Amino acid sequence: MNDRRSAWLLIAPALLLVGVVYFLPLARVLAISVMEPEPGLGNYALLFTSAPIQRVLLTTLRICVFTTSITLVLAYVVAYVLTHARPTAQRLMMLGVLLPLWMSVLVRAFAWVTLLRRQGLVNNALIGMGAIDEPLALMWNEIGVTIGMVHYMLPLGILPLWAAMRDIDGRVLAASRGLGASATQTFVRVFLPLSLPGVIGAGLLVFIFSLGFFITPAILGGGKTIMVAEYINVQIHESLRWGVGTMIASTLVATIFALMFALSRLVDLRTLFGAK
Amino acid sequence: MIKLQTFAEDFAEIRALGRRGVLGGAAALGLAGASGAARAQAPKEVVLCNFGGDAVKAMTEAFVVPYEKKTGGKMVIDGSGPSNGKIKTMVMAKNVTWDVADSGLGGTGELGPAGLLEEIDYSVVDKNKVLSGFAYKYGVCNYMFSTVMAWDTAKVKEKPTLADFFDFKKYPGKRLMRKDSQAMYELALMADGVPKDQLYPLDVPRALKKIAAIKKDLLFWGTGAESQSMLRDGEVVMGWLWNTRATLLQRDTKGKVTFSFDGGLLQPGLWVVPKGNPAGKQVWVAIASMQEPEGQVKLLAALGNGPANPAAAPLVPAELKPLDPASPDNVKVQAKIDGEWYEKNYARTRQEFLDMIAS
Repeated sequence: MNDRRSAWLLIAPALLLVGVVYFLPLARVLAISVMEPEPGLGNYALLFTSAPIQRVLLTTLRICVFTTSITLVLAYVVAYVLTHARPTAQRLMMLGVLLPLWMSVLVRAFAWVTLLRRQGLVNNALIGMGAIDEPLALMWNEIGVTIGMVHYMLPLGILPLWAAMRDIDGRVLAASRGLGASATQTFVRVFLPLSLPGVIGAGLLVFIFSLGFFITPAILGGGKTIMVAEYINVQIHESLRWGVGTMIASTLVATIFALMFALSRLVDLRTLFGAK
Repeated sequence: MIKLQTFAEDFAEIRALGRRGVLGGAAALGLAGASGAARAQAPKEVVLCNFGGDAVKAMTEAFVVPYEKKTGGKMVIDGSGPSNGKIKTMVMAKNVTWDVADSGLGGTGELGPAGLLEEIDYSVVDKNKVLSGFAYKYGVCNYMFSTVMAWDTAKVKEKPTLADFFDFKKYPGKRLMRKDSQAMYELALMADGVPKDQLYPLDVPRALKKIAAIKKDLLFWGTGAESQSMLRDGEVVMGWLWNTRATLLQRDTKGKVTFSFDGGLLQPGLWVVPKGNPAGKQVWVAIASMQEPEGQVKLLAALGNGPANPAAAPLVPAELKPLDPASPDNVKVQAKIDGEWYEKNYARTRQEFLDMIAS
């Protein structure tokens, strides 16, 4: 009983901090969304009536789904190799995974601009090799945004997958092979199902991160690929439609909480975030 | 730097075009440091907010020094960037720390009708020291800039017309526009045949239709630097951008990218005063002092912003005249923006433009 009380006391400062600097402002955002320009749910009605807002949300959803799917496939391959590599190779590979994580997202977006633009490295190389005559439109569209985002999200996909794969008991795989299953069968019927919680966790993590992405779409989208974070920014800073901006922000937060809740039903969050 | 930039934000980033301000950042710092010392008889300190960078040095030289010499008061520049959102937050929290902010029609159009700005006191500020048509209820012109067409001479051999911007048979290749309706509607309508003195009230549906028709070949810039790099790197063959950036492009590419004021749109940078500003009426004295032509010519020399006061024209050195958006020769060939139309219609029509892009 006493233990319990001291535990609460110990986390009280953290709770207080989260309450004051996180939930309080969040509550104010929510309040603005139902108070401006007039009290009521008028702003939320826009979700169903405003074609432009629906298009922005759809664009966001589409890019997030593509980003998440591509990231998962690539991350799965990397995590798989990482799990089965020798310790030295593993350390090197880990460095390769983590290094981009420490680089500013801005720097990475501009690096992609250099690579993907019409007279960028990729197009010039392809034209030089005679593979294409006209530069490919690799950037200033959703392709560019997706490439940039997948690059950003890869470590966020690889790490949870790697954590999940590492915990798979090697003896189970050995047993499967010992009982006569082929390598493919072992992978499909034993390894894949066992790694599935990792896949779901990594997928939701990447998806949630993608939803609020701002810098990469703004730089690589050529001004035309407007995702929800940029739309909110314009509403708050430029057009001063705070009611609309906070409404979309609140909707985004609600979506993320719902996804987190779904995630917590499917996998143990503590494993995912390395707390166990 | 990712968001949609205003002209004021952008010119703050621009490295000085010609001579650098003789008063460096040290002077600005010194002024800021001394500001704490209260002087009982002196007029209230005036805080001018702009977007930082070289604009701090340039405005110190152009505006602060003459004001302090003339009035004995103090003026401090805060370069933290008076975006609409920040001004609204300040006024609503009743914690206004800025007296005068470097803004534009986006500021007066969105903030003015919302009751977040003071009305300009034209008994102190002189309407006659502003090019006609650029003194408004909630803002008064502090400098002029233009939206002009620039083109890549490697792909566009002859000087293009606005109509050529929409002619992909004549000039294939991407086009560049700003991610904001201001000036884009005007240039599109002129390209469509509307005479430059009959633009207002803007036929927004017509402009939207014209632009939407070529949307797949358009790129949109948010920041001035972006507009510059897209033309320099050959991503686009023609673009509509600010004269300050066009001037830099022309200089940096040694004329490969060039521009013309023909068919451009002359626009004002505006001083706005947040509601409940701390210095009270002293701000009008400060704004009036900044109307003197000498300081405005210094700003043109440093950053390329055209003088708001027509009396400055004779003081502009010959080599700067072709680059001055407000020089009489350049004013003649451009359309002039109608601030009153923007005050009433900017919020709605800008959103329509953004929605057209997003669709």
